[in-house]
Amino acid sequence: MRTQLHTTGLLTLTWFSAKKLIVHRRWVIALLIAILVGAVMGYFATEVEEGITAASDLLNILVLFFFMPILALIYGASMIRNEIDDRSITQVLTSPMDRRLSYLGYYFALALVLALLLIMVTTIGWACFFAVKGFDAAALELLLGYLLTVCIGALVYSALFLVFGVVLRHPIYLGLFYVFIWEDFVGSIPGAAENYTIRHHLLVVASTWIDYGDVATVSGSAGISAMVLFGITVALLAIGSWAFWNKEVP
Amino acid sequence: MTDPVVMANTLSKWYGAVIGLNGFNLEIGKGITGIVGPNGSGKSTLFKLVTGTIKPNSGTLLVMGQRPWKNPQQLSKIGFCPDYDFLPPDLTGREYLSFSGGLHGMQGTSLDSRIEEVLAVVEMKGAADRKMGGYSKGMRQRMKIAGSLIHDPELLLLDEPLTGTDPMVRREIIELVRHLHKDHGHDIVVSSHVLHEIERMTHQVALIYKGRAVASGDISEIRRLMSDHPHDIVLEGTEMLALARLLLDKKFTVSLELSPDRRTLHVKVSQPEEFFDEVPDLIKESGSTLERMESLDDDLESVFRYLVRW
Repeated sequence: MRTQLHTTGLLTLTWFSAKKLIVHRRWVIALLIAILVGAVMGYFATEVEEGITAASDLLNILVLFFFMPILALIYGASMIRNEIDDRSITQVLTSPMDRRLSYLGYYFALALVLALLLIMVTTIGWACFFAVKGFDAAALELLLGYLLTVCIGALVYSALFLVFGVVLRHPIYLGLFYVFIWEDFVGSIPGAAENYTIRHHLLVVASTWIDYGDVATVSGSAGISAMVLFGITVALLAIGSWAFWNKEVP
Repeated sequence: MTDPVVMANTLSKWYGAVIGLNGFNLEIGKGITGIVGPNGSGKSTLFKLVTGTIKPNSGTLLVMGQRPWKNPQQLSKIGFCPDYDFLPPDLTGREYLSFSGGLHGMQGTSLDSRIEEVLAVVEMKGAADRKMGGYSKGMRQRMKIAGSLIHDPELLLLDEPLTGTDPMVRREIIELVRHLHKDHGHDIVVSSHVLHEIERMTHQVALIYKGRAVASGDISEIRRLMSDHPHDIVLEGTEMLALARLLLDKKFTVSLELSPDRRTLHVKVSQPEEFFDEVPDLIKESGSTLERMESLDDDLESVFRYLVRW
């Protein structure tokens, strides 16, 4: 009986929350990002000699470096916080579902929507580039490599920014700090600092299936980085669900 | 005697320096119980504590024999309809009920048939497939109540369901609440800041003021307490001096104040009902003519203030 409650409750919450995220007016931001990435990649395709290497570097800079954490921040940090502020969370909090499981419902919805948006952005950018340069098997392989990377990134960044929204009243500030100061600035300082960023471990893992551009030259143990990403995700989910379980919502 | 549905013993809840409930004691039995208090008296805090969305700072709260904080299983027996509007405008009524039911583990044909049942109870079948953003206030209240009923709870908590509704909708919701108890057997706790609205739903009431339960019981008892508290009454007309002289001899008169133009008389009376019974004869005897008579503190707030001092 409890199993059915939790399974149905989890699926219901995931489905409705994902729908809510998709129909929210923020989809305009995602669409603009997709158009921007497409325009930039299409333009560069007409300007550069190299083909697939340039495409890989552009996808790395535009998607992995910039828009993936930004989209995750926009969608993730505000997800539970908005529901608390507009009080639509009441429905979830007064249901018999374990709150820790409800938190996972929000997480799955966020990761799913974020992955879909990133797949859309990446595919549009890729298509605009190779529409100029010509499609081939290597281009398709590159696309699949980046799609797999953004899906993993969606899982990790969702866990990170969702927890911000539960524990902080104004999660956006810490989120901006993480994206622009920690990952972009501290992460680019030569030395071991980059080991403390999600992006670095994501690039190390991605280097095993992306053979072109700067991503392919990132050094490190893919196995260790995969474990680090997995560990970070699980730890963040544990912290978030614990905080949500203990959270009073007046 | 049956166990109380809700039992609060020296229950306190503060939001920083703001008091939600303070040493709150109350037992709520089966049937319909009205929680009456002015805005900010602690009614919503009580509901949030009962549903476990906030935890008490001290004291004991038992809902159907169990503590509600961190006890989600308990919520399968409770339906909660808050005072604020949280319905997603992009969902249809049916989608919303499907969401509510899903969160309670309901699915498939049993959920579909329950949705139909609930829509019939709240008389919203006709509008079930419209987006809720286009609903009227009354329809939204009905749909909120439907959402709280979907899992057929034993206890239904309705926080200010009549607020902001027009008289017609108010009457319909009052009828609905009575129907839910009488025909469907739900125990209901309903709050309002208007006593006579609650009176139309139930005779069992608790008065809350500044985080304390100041009185509870049958409404006739509450009415007696209300009539016992001193009332300020203003009388306006001619020959008020003569009327004042007669009133001075009456036991129920606490104090009198005549305006300089001798047209307005402020009377404080301890037994307002006796005063109102006798005033026609006193006017006749004094030869006064009355143009206006008004009870200044016949509002609930003044009764609460009196009861707290008392």
